[in-house]
Amino acid sequence: MPENEQIADKRDGGGKIKKQSSGRQLVVTVFLLALATKMFLLPIFLIRAAGRDGYIVLAIGAGIDLLSLGAMLAAMFMSKDTDFFTMLESVIGKIATKIVIVLFTLFLFFKMNIAANETLTFYSDNVFAEFDSAIMVIVLLIFLAAVANHTLRALCRLNELLVPLVVVGIGILIAITAVTGFDFGNIMPTMRKPSEFGDAVTRHGSWLGDFTPLALFIGRTDLKKRTAVAASVSGVIGTSVVLFFSMVMCAAFGNLPTYVDSTTNISNILQFSVGNVYGRIDLFSSILWSVAAFVETALFFYATCRCVAYVIGRNSHFGIALGVCAATYFTQVFAMSDPTIFSLLMSNRWTSAISLAFTVAVPSAAVLCGAISARRGQKTAVKDNG
Amino acid sequence: MGKLRLTERKKLLIYKVLLFILAFVLAFMPSTVSRNMEVNSRVVVEILGLDSGEEGITVTAQYATPTETENATTKDKVTVEAKTLTQAVEALSTALGRRAELGQCSVVVVGSDFDVEKLGTLMTATDVTADVYLVAAKDKASDLIGDLTDFMKKSGVTDADFLAYSAKKAHIATITLLNFLSDRASASATAFMPVVEMRKQEEDSGGSSDGGGGSDESNGGSGESNGGSGGSSGGSNGGSSGGGNGGSGGGEPPVGMKIEQLALYNEKGRVGLLEQLSARGVAWVGSPIEKSIIVADVEYNGEIVKDVSGRLCKKCVAVHVDPATGRATVKLKAHIVPNGDKFNELDSDRSAAVTAAVKAGFEREIESELRQAYSDAAALDCDPFFIGREFYRVAPDYYEEVYSQGTVTVDFDINVMLK
Repeated sequence: MPENEQIADKRDGGGKIKKQSSGRQLVVTVFLLALATKMFLLPIFLIRAAGRDGYIVLAIGAGIDLLSLGAMLAAMFMSKDTDFFTMLESVIGKIATKIVIVLFTLFLFFKMNIAANETLTFYSDNVFAEFDSAIMVIVLLIFLAAVANHTLRALCRLNELLVPLVVVGIGILIAITAVTGFDFGNIMPTMRKPSEFGDAVTRHGSWLGDFTPLALFIGRTDLKKRTAVAASVSGVIGTSVVLFFSMVMCAAFGNLPTYVDSTTNISNILQFSVGNVYGRIDLFSSILWSVAAFVETALFFYATCRCVAYVIGRNSHFGIALGVCAATYFTQVFAMSDPTIFSLLMSNRWTSAISLAFTVAVPSAAVLCGAISARRGQKTAVKDNG
Repeated sequence: MGKLRLTERKKLLIYKVLLFILAFVLAFMPSTVSRNMEVNSRVVVEILGLDSGEEGITVTAQYATPTETENATTKDKVTVEAKTLTQAVEALSTALGRRAELGQCSVVVVGSDFDVEKLGTLMTATDVTADVYLVAAKDKASDLIGDLTDFMKKSGVTDADFLAYSAKKAHIATITLLNFLSDRASASATAFMPVVEMRKQEEDSGGSSDGGGGSDESNGGSGESNGGSGGSSGGSNGGSSGGGNGGSGGGEPPVGMKIEQLALYNEKGRVGLLEQLSARGVAWVGSPIEKSIIVADVEYNGEIVKDVSGRLCKKCVAVHVDPATGRATVKLKAHIVPNGDKFNELDSDRSAAVTAAVKAGFEREIESELRQAYSDAAALDCDPFFIGREFYRVAPDYYEEVYSQGTVTVDFDINVMLK
């Protein structure tokens, strides 16, 4: 375990390791991860690709993510006191673990850049239309660097603090939908263009893997009996919210799939449906729920930094955060700032396949290593007793 | 441990210095420093008018500019012409000498000859939001905007968002840009817009609701002024104020607005206008009206009591289709509070028979409005109740292989609940 984490994992009076995250904090983190980036640009890409069937594509992706969440939670319960890195090391050895973590780092960095780009796009297109995004990214990076300089416990506390804001923001949007009486009928008929649907399924896997940073919670979460159920329910609720709003968007743009763009998000869709009667109440609620995307970005950034720390074998928080910030700035400003490059990068089969592979492999590896470690522990216990 | 704390402090200090530098850069970067000037370099467009022009597209904007008096603005209009809609919108800024801010635009007026296919560009390539209300001009949008500008100047109306009120508080079928485009792209391929006309002095005093002549006069009047403002961007600033004022010089000054007719569109464009009765029928189904007045003749005790009125409190509409029989049913449930002296006179004995008679009267009236709307629209090859769309949703194969508007039998099931 990295040095600073050892410092952070202070022991309580009874000598037991005080965990970085409580069960409740895990539950709220799962909720935020379930809905954050899936509510930003993904529905737009899916509507363009699959029309009014976009929400079904999203449901398939969200289903895969929920399965990976289940596996991740199982791994947490199998390995209550050993962290992800140590667990991997004990099974596949140190060198192989480093290679695996390098690949995992690249995936986390990729995912973090998606989340960062979506957050910046939302704010640059909808809120600060004339603000230079190259400067806006610096503001985001300062936040990310600050997060990476703290412990997982600090990030979990932040999540706990922000979740009520996100819930209120989403509550306002749901209330607006209920008041306006949205024409949900327009999501029908389904599957009229199977080839487009299939294409959309295979091209949008880059948004998978939202629960992979939970690998950092393995062995570092204070798990209670009901934590697994609560975290699963939290994930299902977050996913249901995403699906609900995606259905609203598909209903609004089902007849006009080519009209959606980055300025079209769930908030202004509702604004469009309600007209000018209530003013821009949607903007207020958007800013509240979009906090979830900041948290997801921060969590991926934090996970990237921790993986880098493990790979280089040095736990220089500040230096690593600075390095990852520089890499992120370069990626955001020079590679992902062009929406065409971004959409090409995000909507191709290669990145989809790679994301799917990591979404499946990371929790599977965690479960497998957790099971092997648990069996070894049992054998050792039997030997000791014998 | 002490060393560690010192390091943390140093890091904190570095963060603070970095944040300060960032704040300094943001505060003093060129675009921020000149922000106060930026406010004066913009002009807020409140109403946009779209017509077909010789060159391509004619865009007329009613804009507000701040005056020296606190919280006061003046209104004027300017017209520009360009090959495409995006170019025309861009030309507005040039014409006004300042950046035309379209995000605050609340109404788009569509001229009779404008190709509504191009409205999508407004949503995707300009700052006009998709929730902007659409209204149709009987002829030229530029003329209507001229008259509207005059009326707003005269009446002191500052908010161009008059349709937001009408959307729910009056029996008018209103529509937003997104819904218009979505309806027209649906399986029914039908969309509508309310037609806005200006009331003239003599028309208002005469009590006529037709108003076609008055409207034509005003069109001619402000049409002349458009010529002055619709030229090149260089002369538009001067011409714009002329355009705004010129409307009132050409004919009787407008004294108000009226929204009675409905312009119907299908895939071919504007195909015709629905008169008041049919327009009301469309509003029952296609608009989220919450309050309106209904007037009906009631048959009671063998006598016809004319003009018994009621106030709509709530309505609920659903279109049910049955592909097996090829029938469609428009179900409407309306909660109405009867009022007025006619009803009070009828209701003096408070009998159930009166209630039943009034209920039947209102139901007949609503049904006649719906039937009229459907038949008038069908004659124009339009489907105002989106019955085709409903067939497509429920039975897409039936829709694609069998359905045609002419073969569907439409029933109306009206249920009035008196309060």
